[in-house]
Amino acid sequence: MKFIKKTDFFILLAVLVLCAGGWLFYQQEYGTAAAVAQIYYKSELVETVDLTKGVDRRFSIPQNKNVVFHQFSDGSICFEESNCPDKICIKAGRLRTVGQSAACLPNQIILKIVPKNGRNANDPDLVIG
Amino acid sequence: MVKKAAAILLILLFALSAPGCGKNEKTRYDAQFLQLFDTKSELVAYMDSKEEFTDFSNLIYNNLKEYDHLYDIYNNYPGINNLKTINDNAGKKPVRVDKRIIGLLQLARKEDEATNGSCNVAFGAVLRLWHQYREDGINDPEHAQLPPMEELKEASKHTDINQVIIDEKASTVYLKDPEMSLDVGAVAKGYATEQVAELAEKAGYSSALLSIGGNVRAIGEKGIHQELWNVGIQNPDLGSEKTSLTTVLLREQSLVTSGIYERYYTVNGKNYHHIIDPKTLMPSAYYKSVSIITRDSGVADALSTALFNMPPAQGMTYIESLSGTEALWVMPDGRIQYSSHFHDLEKS
Repeated sequence: MKFIKKTDFFILLAVLVLCAGGWLFYQQEYGTAAAVAQIYYKSELVETVDLTKGVDRRFSIPQNKNVVFHQFSDGSICFEESNCPDKICIKAGRLRTVGQSAACLPNQIILKIVPKNGRNANDPDLVIG
Repeated sequence: MVKKAAAILLILLFALSAPGCGKNEKTRYDAQFLQLFDTKSELVAYMDSKEEFTDFSNLIYNNLKEYDHLYDIYNNYPGINNLKTINDNAGKKPVRVDKRIIGLLQLARKEDEATNGSCNVAFGAVLRLWHQYREDGINDPEHAQLPPMEELKEASKHTDINQVIIDEKASTVYLKDPEMSLDVGAVAKGYATEQVAELAEKAGYSSALLSIGGNVRAIGEKGIHQELWNVGIQNPDLGSEKTSLTTVLLREQSLVTSGIYERYYTVNGKNYHHIIDPKTLMPSAYYKSVSIITRDSGVADALSTALFNMPPAQGMTYIESLSGTEALWVMPDGRIQYSSHFHDLEKS
């Protein structure tokens, strides 16, 4: 008598596939999406920032040094400094959720949060307020 | 037999774990721009090709640009009479204007009448004062001041909507009071959003989401699995870990939020926002934000301003009297008031 029969192998495989399928389904429906920030200057995408790396840093885009962004280790990002008069970009606060965006109109910069690995059903298409 | 059953089981499981594979699905595209209505706009759409999305974006952008020029109260544009032309001719003569201005003013007047003057586009004289003091205060924060109440009261004498004479047949607008002026900031973006969305629908587009300065209009539903559009409503408490108060599901509907946490200036340590209560002539003090969901984006925009200027009980009574319209109010202490069927629209 063999230790593992052919049918046992198939059952084991079926259970593994079931688990993988369930995990994929869960991620699709309920998973918290890893996010990246996109920075647009004059409607062109000029920088993509991975927010999942636990990095804390301040930076600017080469096209405009008057605006400073702050990436936080908790996965959020914000406009931290800007030479614009109204500071609406800074007042928008930290962004972290897919669908959120903020803009500095005088400097023509948009900061936008998008999914890192494809969109799941739980991701908002937009966040407004 | 066992082998066969196992093989079938495996095929079924693989099929279940890869939903959508092999289907001829539309692709998601998005675009954003800052050039119109002094605000941020975003477009999302599910389409067959990049070319189709480019055509769609151009249709929206080019038409919105025309609305932006028509509703501008600060700049002239060659060859067109806009709201600035009407204001410049206050007390002088009627101005012949595009039907798109007549349509906007008629909607605004209707909403103002329905809300007892809570959405008055003839409030320009008062709003102009606030705008000037806010701009000065933002540019020179150390010397920021409030507009003097005597000046506000004097300006408010020139805000009678009945002095705005609209002649639909002749397509003219005349401001009888020479001291009055129009300011359509409470309704113009929403109205323009609705008009361009309807144009896109007539052109055959069936799966798109527009956000023009936060005036969201859903065209159809998503191009995949008949899913509805998910739109999050920002938590006005920007320091909170919870970025959205809730997510609503939209199909052929509009959503707009009026909030006070971005557009403001500071005088002696206190913030003064941009939504002015016609009764007190001061920034409205009832809420942190008000969100409206209804079919028409222009109506949604007008309602969000009107509700901002109404006490909670009055606002609730008014919203409950409208069919197909829901609202969410965030109180100054962060408490939330919902209209009775708002939860039906939330993503569970």
